[in-house]
Amino acid sequence: MFKRKSKSSSNENQASMDSEDAGEAVSVPTVGADFIRMVSDAVHHTADLVVKPIPPNLTLIYIDNLVDTVTLNKHILEELLEQPIESPENIVSILSVPQVKFAQKNRESVEAMMDGCVLIHVEGYAQVVLALIPTPESRQVSAPENESQVIGAQIAFNESLSRNVSLIRRYIKNPSLCKEDLEVGKQSKTSIAMLYIKDVASDQMVTTLRQRIADLQIDSVLDSSILEQLIDDNSLSIFPQMLLTERPDKVSAEILNGKIAVIVDGSALAIISPHSFIEFFQSQEDQNLRWQTATFLRLLRFGAVVLSVFLTPLYVAALTFHYEVIPQTLLVPLSESRALVPFPPLLEALLIELIIELLREAGVRLPTKVGQTIGIVGGIVIGTAAVQAGITSNILIIIVALGALSSFTTPSYMMGNVIRIIRFPLILLAGLWGFYGIMLGFCFILVHLLRQTSLGSPYMAPFYPPRLIDWRDSIVRLPLPFTFKRPTNTRPEDEDKYKPEPVNPEKNEQKVK
Amino acid sequence: MKQFYFFVVLLVVSVGLGGCAETKILEEVGLTTLVGYDLAKEDGVESTAIIRQVGTELQSKVSIITAENATIQGTRAKVNRRAAEKLESGQLRGVLFGDEFAKKGIGHSIDTSLKNPAISEGMLLAVVEGDTKSLLEYEYPSIDEIGQHIHKLLDQNIKSEQVISSTLHEVSYDYYAVGRDIALPIIKRDEELVDISGIALFKKDKMVGTLLVDDSFYVKLSRDDYHNGTHELKVKGDELSSTLLKDPPDEISLVFDPIKTHRNLKLVDLKQPEFDMNISIQARILEIKDNINIGDAKSAEELEKAISKKLKSEISRVIAYCQEIGSDVFGYGEYYRSSVRNSELTEEKWREMYKEMKVNVNIDFTLIRSGVFE
Repeated sequence: MFKRKSKSSSNENQASMDSEDAGEAVSVPTVGADFIRMVSDAVHHTADLVVKPIPPNLTLIYIDNLVDTVTLNKHILEELLEQPIESPENIVSILSVPQVKFAQKNRESVEAMMDGCVLIHVEGYAQVVLALIPTPESRQVSAPENESQVIGAQIAFNESLSRNVSLIRRYIKNPSLCKEDLEVGKQSKTSIAMLYIKDVASDQMVTTLRQRIADLQIDSVLDSSILEQLIDDNSLSIFPQMLLTERPDKVSAEILNGKIAVIVDGSALAIISPHSFIEFFQSQEDQNLRWQTATFLRLLRFGAVVLSVFLTPLYVAALTFHYEVIPQTLLVPLSESRALVPFPPLLEALLIELIIELLREAGVRLPTKVGQTIGIVGGIVIGTAAVQAGITSNILIIIVALGALSSFTTPSYMMGNVIRIIRFPLILLAGLWGFYGIMLGFCFILVHLLRQTSLGSPYMAPFYPPRLIDWRDSIVRLPLPFTFKRPTNTRPEDEDKYKPEPVNPEKNEQKVK
Repeated sequence: MKQFYFFVVLLVVSVGLGGCAETKILEEVGLTTLVGYDLAKEDGVESTAIIRQVGTELQSKVSIITAENATIQGTRAKVNRRAAEKLESGQLRGVLFGDEFAKKGIGHSIDTSLKNPAISEGMLLAVVEGDTKSLLEYEYPSIDEIGQHIHKLLDQNIKSEQVISSTLHEVSYDYYAVGRDIALPIIKRDEELVDISGIALFKKDKMVGTLLVDDSFYVKLSRDDYHNGTHELKVKGDELSSTLLKDPPDEISLVFDPIKTHRNLKLVDLKQPEFDMNISIQARILEIKDNINIGDAKSAEELEKAISKKLKSEISRVIAYCQEIGSDVFGYGEYYRSSVRNSELTEEKWREMYKEMKVNVNIDFTLIRSGVFE
């Protein structure tokens, strides 16, 4: 059934593309009235199409909601009315608008109009002048909310592609920073920018990514998170294989590491690839802090992941099957708090985990002010009441809360979600088969992770395949003099970030003297 | 698609089979924390089990159940029939043997404990003076749970090296190794308390003799290295020279604390066999009855000599006693086996040789850090 459907839709695609190809070849008519008819036909006589003839020989066409009327009045209309216009070249010289182009083809001019151009047609000429004056509809850049940091830039992307690119260009002023423009979506025609540093990023990876985006046959891409699912290596996997981030400093740092960034117009998140599993747990702040602190925080974060995934399953397994591993001192409090609970440990754990997930989901959906209240009400009232009512044991509440808390330490929101969700099958396995079940689940996850790739590079790098030099900046972070190499999984054209300097330059200087 | 069906079938089968796994939910099992074995009529076993159960009023109860049968596992089934919850032995922390039972042999008990994967290798074993039943069933006013109390008592004293370590791991090693015998602590009820009274010496799996608790220091000293603990010693007054103390009393009591000891064994004669045992002890004096200035190098040296002499005679006495009863708790046989190529030592062969064995004890006692102690 699916096959048939896709086949018919591809046929339609073919047909529509043929007609578009025909339209593209038609050049702009020389007669103004013909041009007006052509344009209004192309946009199916939409109500917000404005046609403004300026006697004796000019015609202005634009979409009302797409152009900035202040600029239009001040810098186009005023100047065009001031003196008679003889040719399109003449217009370019007098317009005080930065982006002015010529177009010879119908299709090209209509598309430019949809981007926010004013079309200026001069009677008798087979070309049209395009003056780009789009409405400046984007909010101010604000502080990052989902990936906040104490030390580091307090700036996040917003929904404007050009603003986002400018943010990155401000960090990397290198002329080799390439921006490639791509367009995806038959209906939405979303602009997409691909950013990388030539001679640093791997050419092969750039080609692969460009090809993946260009090959997309889809009607729209409304957000970069959708694009990410469309272009990653295994879209069936629960693990994201490309990073989504709202931090321009993170994107810049990764571009400098030889990675490729993709920015989608209308989305406040940039895509970074290739990105390995370990890198999802590294924060940009780790680079900003001193290396000892950064190493401690990284170890804490990895510990939190292990805790978050395995703590509740271990509780369930130990209480259901392996009572002998419980330390003697814990035996009495554990069995006493379990004594009144009517459910087996499996059901008890699933219940509390679901309550925690409900609280989290409710907290996300509710407005900020109400969200906090619900958090307190839910956390304290339900937590205490559940124990008092004898539905759950005290110790499980602590374990579950600890697990939930730990999962929020992951800097990537996408990965944090995954960490919380893979706990559920593990709890189920623990309840069915005890420690053997947990081990089975762990092996399954590990095998799956080992099989993944991110833009063709191994997902579990630098541990498998082992890249010893990258271990310096993995679950630990060594001081900067040791981490001068770019990560090998990006296969950079230029491997060294900088020349390895002596660890303590002052000492060496003294020696020279 | 075929693969998909395969996984669906696998999932259904595995979830179905998941129900077959026997659950042992913590609050639904009775946890045996301590078992005592006594000799019953007609060579049977009388087991006394201490079982912890969780009550509904959030208070755990301890019950003591006794049963008699021909075998250990038989008594276990019998005890189970008298318990409210299914008994599990995964939290077993100690096994006690009545002395009559120990004289008959504890080998099968060690064997069954080892074969049960739920039982910890860190479980402690001990012999009870008299029978275990009366020790366990006595109502001690100051002890809440006798099972945990005995485990803690033994554990604490083993950790501070006051008594020989008797974990299942070590005991089973001693039991199965050729040329090494088991030594277990002995406990008894002393009025309202439980007390460690000595150590039991075994020949293979049968208890053949006992030593006082003070002598366990010498056994331990000649078995392995020492890091902890204190020892009280009485040195004869006439063994000290007159320069050290004028008009010495008959005996001087002193307490020392071995900071570091090292035992070095050397086989000097294969035939007879003869061993040189050099023990170096670095210790500090904690308390000395008479007024001797240990700070003075000369008197310290005199004291070292006297203590060495005393220790040597004590250790020789303990070794002689062990030889007499035929229990090689020091592991000389094992040392012999491992240092003689192709010795093909068997149990019987070593028992013969052990009687003839000669050990030359040399003690190198050094006093250090005689300033402070905690």
